[in-house]
Amino acid sequence: MIKRLFLGSTNVDFLKVGKLFYKVFLIEVVIFLAVLIMSSLGVLPVNLSVDFTGGTTYQLEANYSDEDISEVMNSSILDVSRYQTFDNSDSIIFRATENTQQKETEFLFYLSNKFDVSDENIDFQRVGPTFGDEITSKGLQALLIFLTLVILLISYRYEFKYSIIALIALIHDLLLVFSIYVLLGLEITPSTVIALLTILGYSLYDTVILFDKLNDTVKTSRFSYLSDDSLNKTFNEVLMRSLNTSITSAIPIASILFLGNYLGLSGTLTDFALPLFIGILSGTYSSIFVTVPFLAKIINK
Amino acid sequence: MKKYFNILFLPIISASLFALVYIQELKPKLGLDLQGGISVILTADDDTDQELIEQAVEIMRTRIEAFGDVQEPEIAISGENSVLVQLPGVTDQERAIEALGTTGLLTFRPVLDSSLTTGYSPALSLEVNPDDPEDVSTKIKEGVTGVDEVIGISINDNPEFESYILSVSGGYPVIYQLGPAELTGNDISDAIAVFPENEWIVSLEFKEDSAQLFTELTKKLASQNGEQRKLAIVLDGEVVSAPGVAFDVDPSVGITGGTAAISMGNADGGESANNLAIILRYGALPVSFERSSIEKVSATLGEDTLNLGLQAGLVGLVIVSMYLILYYRTLGLVAILGLSSFGLLFYSVITLLGEYQGFTLTLSGIAGIIVSIGLAADSYIVTFEKFKDEIKIGRSFQFAAEKASQDAWKTILTADFVSLSAALLLYVLAIGPIRGFALALGVATIFDLIFTRIYTRNAVPVISSLSKSPRVFFPIKESDLIND
Repeated sequence: MIKRLFLGSTNVDFLKVGKLFYKVFLIEVVIFLAVLIMSSLGVLPVNLSVDFTGGTTYQLEANYSDEDISEVMNSSILDVSRYQTFDNSDSIIFRATENTQQKETEFLFYLSNKFDVSDENIDFQRVGPTFGDEITSKGLQALLIFLTLVILLISYRYEFKYSIIALIALIHDLLLVFSIYVLLGLEITPSTVIALLTILGYSLYDTVILFDKLNDTVKTSRFSYLSDDSLNKTFNEVLMRSLNTSITSAIPIASILFLGNYLGLSGTLTDFALPLFIGILSGTYSSIFVTVPFLAKIINK
Repeated sequence: MKKYFNILFLPIISASLFALVYIQELKPKLGLDLQGGISVILTADDDTDQELIEQAVEIMRTRIEAFGDVQEPEIAISGENSVLVQLPGVTDQERAIEALGTTGLLTFRPVLDSSLTTGYSPALSLEVNPDDPEDVSTKIKEGVTGVDEVIGISINDNPEFESYILSVSGGYPVIYQLGPAELTGNDISDAIAVFPENEWIVSLEFKEDSAQLFTELTKKLASQNGEQRKLAIVLDGEVVSAPGVAFDVDPSVGITGGTAAISMGNADGGESANNLAIILRYGALPVSFERSSIEKVSATLGEDTLNLGLQAGLVGLVIVSMYLILYYRTLGLVAILGLSSFGLLFYSVITLLGEYQGFTLTLSGIAGIIVSIGLAADSYIVTFEKFKDEIKIGRSFQFAAEKASQDAWKTILTADFVSLSAALLLYVLAIGPIRGFALALGVATIFDLIFTRIYTRNAVPVISSLSKSPRVFFPIKESDLIND
């Protein structure tokens, strides 16, 4: 089997497999919808970073005990909403809701005294809620324009029906990452939004290469139109490329995650790498297993 | 021959550019998130006039320059009504915000003399030519330094010393001789323009700690007469107003209670009163900004992140290379030479852009670079896989390699076009950190296209003519081909 995979001469009947994965797809859609509805109703909390909600974060490195932390959490200076510690390092991050400049500075000095860290070594971030809104609205704007462009481009290069299938695959990837974030309660930062936009690029890149291959096969096939045979041939041949590509794309990103975790660093770079990693896996999956059932449907008609 | 030239062209260019950068000891210009510093985003109201924001940015620039020890500050309008201020290397938050001048370089200085009494700058004395009474010239008074010879205004205003400052706020120019600053904008807690009866006044409130200072100052002024009863309000080297202490103020008591009222008359319907109140409240900026984001990155965190990015990039590159060699064998070497040249070229171009265009490498830029390693590697994989397909259907190696690299070019062109438009779109629409990412991704995509077109397209056919055995290129045997 592995040898056949290497050779690109696997003999998977993708039409049959497609039916199975169509069911998986439908289950996914139900989950996505449930997550979307529950999070918009507030049943499932969406963990948004201070960039979206407004507030302050303080990050410092110090020796601390659990008592220290609960003391800080109950501090009367600011309303400290959350804290975060790390297994591999002495970093602590405190997050507090918005308050006056004076109180925020007071809290900075309080932390500096409490943990015996010079205030210059405490990383401080203050964000008004408008900043996150701006990123979100710009992101949505970019998303809409990008999707329109994608439909036009694929319709022009291949077929209109293809562009709809590509769109389904894209939205699948976005919703998958979003659902994982909501279900695991991971924090959504502006980096996550950037990563989501990048995932679009990746996922589409994969789908385009697949369509290109399909186009080639159709052109050289006997009937020159999309048939069961050409579909199966293409997907069998393209499997190894898809695998290789996602492996090579995922390796550098995985190394950010592992090194970041090993060195005990969390920050924008790891915030960025995690959704990207999930997105690349999802993009590879969707470019094959989400597109197949839909392509099969085109043939049947 | 031309083929070999084409294959070596890009690696040689990349290597020599890198050598150039290395010899000149150039380093990429690091963004604030990689070297530490403070970044502030100031946001004005939605419908603020663009011109006012531009003016405010200009004022902030001058202020920061006056601030001194900030290396390469960046102040830029971002979006419609926001200003992004980046102060690399600054770790003292209070000072940074002071430098931004949201409270203003506003000082209160006692007036010592003014051109209202003599008609010319108090720094100058008149000299009448004894032979011709019509010929009058001016000369700088003895003991006065740092003053312009012709009009008698201080060239550099230092609020800690006596200076000669011009005021045009009264509609006609007046030159004041001012003593050192006694109070600053930081001593004011609030200022508003009100119209209690008959005339506009600006009501001023001092902070608790500063009220006593103000009382002492007014005690001194109230014991004086004429110009010396006046207290000049100086903003960024210009006297905005010089109200006198009222005659009913008792010199032994001064103005107490931490409040003061400046009479502004009734001539302009309160416009000048409002302007003065705004200046007192906000300093020089014509727009009031809300600090919508302050981010402080300590130098150590910046360094840690940079190292993480570099290490991750390197580890990623090594593992990808190993994987490519294992799977594609000699073709893997083609990919590795290509990818390393790609890396060197990328590094050099970013460094040069930083040197000559002021491009700063930020964290998101590094993320973009790491992502682009995957993209670049994929272009090789697409080509190699096409090559494998062609061999499998029984084509000769030579023909297969030619056809594969041509077909792959078309595929990669389409796919890269998608990436490029995504990068472009992100760059145009994005604010702040996303831009660095988009730029890195865009540049990488263009490099990828160039490498595919010139390097890969020529290298694959040449390498494929080395051997007739598929084992040299893929983990497959000759017998696999015949069976297929």
